[in-house]
Amino acid sequence: MLSVNSLTKRLPDGTVLLNAITFTVEKGEFVGILGPSGAGKSLTMRCMVGLTSVSAGSVVFTGEQGRTYTTTTIKGNELRRARRNIGVIFQGSNLVNRLTVLENVMIGRLGRIHPLRSWLYGFTDREAEEALAALDRVGLASFSGRQTGSLSGGEMQRVAIARAIYQRPLCYLADEPIASLDPKNSRAIMKLLQPLARDHPIVGSFHQPDMTAEFCTRVLGLRNGTIVYDGPPRLTRAQLAEIYSQDLSLEPEETLDAMSGPVLGHPVTSTGHWL
Amino acid sequence: MTRAVERSFAVRWRDFSLGRYRRHLRRLTLLAALVVLAAWRAEVNMHDLITGLGRGLSMVGLFLPPKWDAFPEMIEPAFVTVLIAATATPIGALCSILFGLAASRNIAPAWLRAATRTAIALERGIPEIVILLILVAAFGIGPFSGVVALVIGSIGMLGKLVGDAIEEIDPRTVESVACTGASRAQIIRYAMLPEVLPSLLANSMFRFEVNIRASVLLGAVGAGGIGYELSTAMSQVEYNKAATAALVSFALVMAAERASDHLRSKVLSRGQLA
Repeated sequence: MLSVNSLTKRLPDGTVLLNAITFTVEKGEFVGILGPSGAGKSLTMRCMVGLTSVSAGSVVFTGEQGRTYTTTTIKGNELRRARRNIGVIFQGSNLVNRLTVLENVMIGRLGRIHPLRSWLYGFTDREAEEALAALDRVGLASFSGRQTGSLSGGEMQRVAIARAIYQRPLCYLADEPIASLDPKNSRAIMKLLQPLARDHPIVGSFHQPDMTAEFCTRVLGLRNGTIVYDGPPRLTRAQLAEIYSQDLSLEPEETLDAMSGPVLGHPVTSTGHWL
Repeated sequence: MTRAVERSFAVRWRDFSLGRYRRHLRRLTLLAALVVLAAWRAEVNMHDLITGLGRGLSMVGLFLPPKWDAFPEMIEPAFVTVLIAATATPIGALCSILFGLAASRNIAPAWLRAATRTAIALERGIPEIVILLILVAAFGIGPFSGVVALVIGSIGMLGKLVGDAIEEIDPRTVESVACTGASRAQIIRYAMLPEVLPSLLANSMFRFEVNIRASVLLGAVGAGGIGYELSTAMSQVEYNKAATAALVSFALVMAAERASDHLRSKVLSRGQLA
């Protein structure tokens, strides 16, 4: 369905951002990518939809009727055709603030309608109804006429998901869909994503090991642009430490302490350090 | 106390010694010297100012009372003046969208952006009167030259504003639309225009007001309208008629300002609240 082969990204000065990332995603999978900030989670996803060029390697996506697209090399119309089959769930703040919620959802279908029609006529009533249905699925049907900029972070995130659902893609990429959301909203978003994965695989990047343990079918651990873990979603403490600690010998106690909250399912605030 | 704290504004605020102001004093003295030098070079002197003021005031007497009978014949020229601005502003606003797109780095190739930005900057450097004089040579005297001059002037202002507004759009918003498979034209339509149109509308209202003022002025040098009436009356030493024309243009400018303020606040509040 989606295979990433030795994906490598190097900066002109030689810094390696992604080091031969290789994994394959099949139908029914909900893959969570874990890793510290700057490990290359978002970059991997950007490369997968052709937003960032790669230095080496490739991403091959199997689209409609078994057609394959190498999203790392194609451009123009070919790239657009591949992209309309990949639903990218962005952080909600990337919506078009001045448009209504419904319009933001309908943007998901732009790749399938003729540019001339989208300029001169807009969307048909049927498309609008389908978009409403997608909004209903994320529980925001009553928000359809609201200006998107006036929504809360959690609501915006749901709109972003509704857009991806409405796009009717063959797979989803979710770039930190629950970052900057409170635990309750995070759980609600994960509950929305989980059933989607049954029909169309999801690859998402996360910062919450407890969430990926509960909802994902598989976890990839990324550290300094290299995959250091690829396996079942419930990771041991040692496995998590390998993903998250840059250098265990330096501050082993603190690194593990800082992580113990989310890892074991206790809210971080319960330690009292923050408050 | 550390150095950083000593240098901080809150601590310096308690320091009233002269030393604190010395640097500013030096700068102020330099500035004053420059102003005096400039005034001397520009032949400003108090004697001329006072005698000139007296002459000017006695001139005002010549304009009074305005020639009220001339009022009906001012209506058509006033209409022409408004028409010039009312035609030029929307055309200029529409063109400025194209120029704005061509002038923003997130949609146009680098060479096009550089060319458009240069053209806009050049245009902004040339006063509208100069543009009009060139156009009058090409199209002859009349409102048409005035409209073209104001369209060019409006593009200079609005095109730059639209271009800057488009460049300020969050690239992640654009990317999120691009990732649905949208084409460049669709990205412009759904990710860029919605973000810049409300401010373009508000700025166009403001530009309409500017265009009314400019239209009066341009009338005097060949665009027709109320400005033309004013300048012919002046040159024919019909000061009372000129006063009527001046009153009408004053009323026009005031009305345009009120209308533009009102519409602008409506547009802006809708953008925030809806």
